Amino acid sequence: MVDAAVAEARDSLSNEVDTRAVPRSRWRELLATRASAIFLLDVLLFIVFTVLSSHGVFASLADVKALLLAGTEALLLAVGLSLMLGAGIFDLSLGANLVLSSVVGAKIINALAITGPNGTATHVGVAALAGVGGALATGALFGLVNGSLIAYARINSLIATLGTLGIGMGIAYVVTNGSDVAGLPTPLQQSFGLRTVGPIPLPALVALAVAAVAWLSVRFTRFGTRTLAIGSSRVAASRAGIRVTRYIVALAALAGTFAGIAGFIDISHYGSTVVNGHANDALNAVTAAVIGGTLLEGGRVSIPGAVWGTALAVILQGGLVVIGVSSYYQLMAVGGALILAVGLDRFTVQRREQG
Amino acid sequence: MADVDQRSAGVAIAAEHVRKHFGHVEALRDASLQASFGEVVALFGDNGAGKSTFLRVLQGIYRPDSGRIVVNNAQVALSSVRDAQRLGVDTVHQDLSLAPDLSVIDNMFLGHEVLRRRSLRAVGALDRRRMAEQTEAALRELSISLPSLRVPVRDLSGGQRQAVAVARAVMWSSAALLMDEPTAALGARQSEKVCELIRTVASRGLGVVVVSHDLPRILSIADRVVVLWRGATVLDVPSKGLTVPDVVATMVGYRQEAHE
Ligand SMILES: Nc1ncnc2c1ncn2[C@@H]1O[C@H](COP(=O)(O)OP(=O)(O)OP(=O)(O)O)[C@@H](O)[C@H]1O
Ligand SMILES: [Mg+2]
Repeated sequence: MVDAAVAEARDSLSNEVDTRAVPRSRWRELLATRASAIFLLDVLLFIVFTVLSSHGVFASLADVKALLLAGTEALLLAVGLSLMLGAGIFDLSLGANLVLSSVVGAKIINALAITGPNGTATHVGVAALAGVGGALATGALFGLVNGSLIAYARINSLIATLGTLGIGMGIAYVVTNGSDVAGLPTPLQQSFGLRTVGPIPLPALVALAVAAVAWLSVRFTRFGTRTLAIGSSRVAASRAGIRVTRYIVALAALAGTFAGIAGFIDISHYGSTVVNGHANDALNAVTAAVIGGTLLEGGRVSIPGAVWGTALAVILQGGLVVIGVSSYYQLMAVGGALILAVGLDRFTVQRREQG
Repeated sequence: MADVDQRSAGVAIAAEHVRKHFGHVEALRDASLQASFGEVVALFGDNGAGKSTFLRVLQGIYRPDSGRIVVNNAQVALSSVRDAQRLGVDTVHQDLSLAPDLSVIDNMFLGHEVLRRRSLRAVGALDRRRMAEQTEAALRELSISLPSLRVPVRDLSGGQRQAVAVARAVMWSSAALLMDEPTAALGARQSEKVCELIRTVASRGLGVVVVSHDLPRILSIADRVVVLWRGATVLDVPSKGLTVPDVVATMVGYRQEAHE
């Protein structure tokens, strides 16, 4: 009896492929992602604020432009940080990097452009190009230092970038003597910082282009796969022959370069540096990335999630102002959203593990 | 899988008098082994004897303090995993072989990615279709069936993961295949399958080194047996006529014997 039962069970089981761990269909998978959930939340909030604002001004073109411009720098930092998180490393110094890059860029521009007494300036084109170069190079170099500390000196990325955050801000203060570098030539704003292409600000286009390239890299390239492999299991990646240290340095330099771009956007937007305005930028980038579904532990990156996560913070900020609520509440709302998103995820994951 | 059928003669992989220490720990004092093409060598030893360390030296993960390493009949200096990979050596590690967040396909090709043609190649775009086809073929050849090749490896069972790790190492080795406890996570049926697989791989001409605590099973498929005792090779004999008690006695009792 028992033998027969065993034989029968064996026969019915052995020829079947185990189909329990199969992916869901593309659409269901897309709908189930955190990025999609945050996107829907963004849309919902946008509608709510439009309805609540008088005459629906929240959805007016001017306001959308302002929202996009407000999110530009945050998005650049969030995308760079997401890539780093993918490899399981962290960067707390991105805001300091932005500031230092903007200071270097501004100093170069002011040194090269000759501003007349009535505000006219000459050599702005050359000066701006040199300024872009200086800001990007500063950002990249800053990232390179971070990456080397993490990869070669083997200092925990949190500690290493906490250190360079202080050093970077210190240098920025020393260079500027504590006051902002102001009086940048106005053509800089007209031709880049405040320029729009159709309804979209040019700097926002740059940030979106960077995000698009990052998304393609993560999804479809060797660079993306290896980055995720490193974050997923650093030992497994290096045993597979991947040069882990080089990847870490490259990723940190890349995120630094994005911070440099953001720094240049900052000065060409405001016509001056904003040394004291970026203290929370790095943490905001972490929030945006993690809200969107990027894992702090590494191995999983969602660039669309970083986009929608950044949008969430910006929409809340702008929306609360428009409906006359103090923007202090924005801080609470974003913080709450972060905890809710990650908490709900834990809940669903646990449910799946329990069967 | 490369052509190995022709190279039936000679040394696939060998190590002579390898030493390796970590700080105060002398993990390997005088370790030697040799696997000819087409041969299965069982590497036995107690916990902490230095077996995993030995395989990592052969894979280029650790550089030995001294000693000689031979791959494909030529003495080599392995300064990285990639060096060993280039020579056709690949390993199934005791743990941490795979990246859990990546799919089966991406794991199979980790470090050996197939790129698209022309301009897409320059930006490192993956040819996932080719990778998927080759993964399917490789798994089919080893009669490994998985529910899906696109799920993260994290979602597979321990045994299924082990099967993927084995398949990957088989796919990329063309001279020597090193296996550290390949059956540890497997049930009886899967263990038998891996043993069959080891014989198949050897019959195709590769040299295979298997570390295992499953003495009876591995002894029955091995051509040679090497026993490591506290970092030194103390036995290196053909498996013919060797019994499990013989091996166990050498593994644990070498010191007593040596002092008699
Ligand atoms: N990276 C390392 N740093 C320091 N000590 C190490 C390192 N790797 C191995 N050792 C030491 O070397 C010795 C041999 O370890 P190894 O992992 O090679 O043993 P093993 O024979 O594979 O054991 P097991 O059967 O338990 O897998 C142990 O004493 C271990 O503590
Ligand atoms: Mg071991």
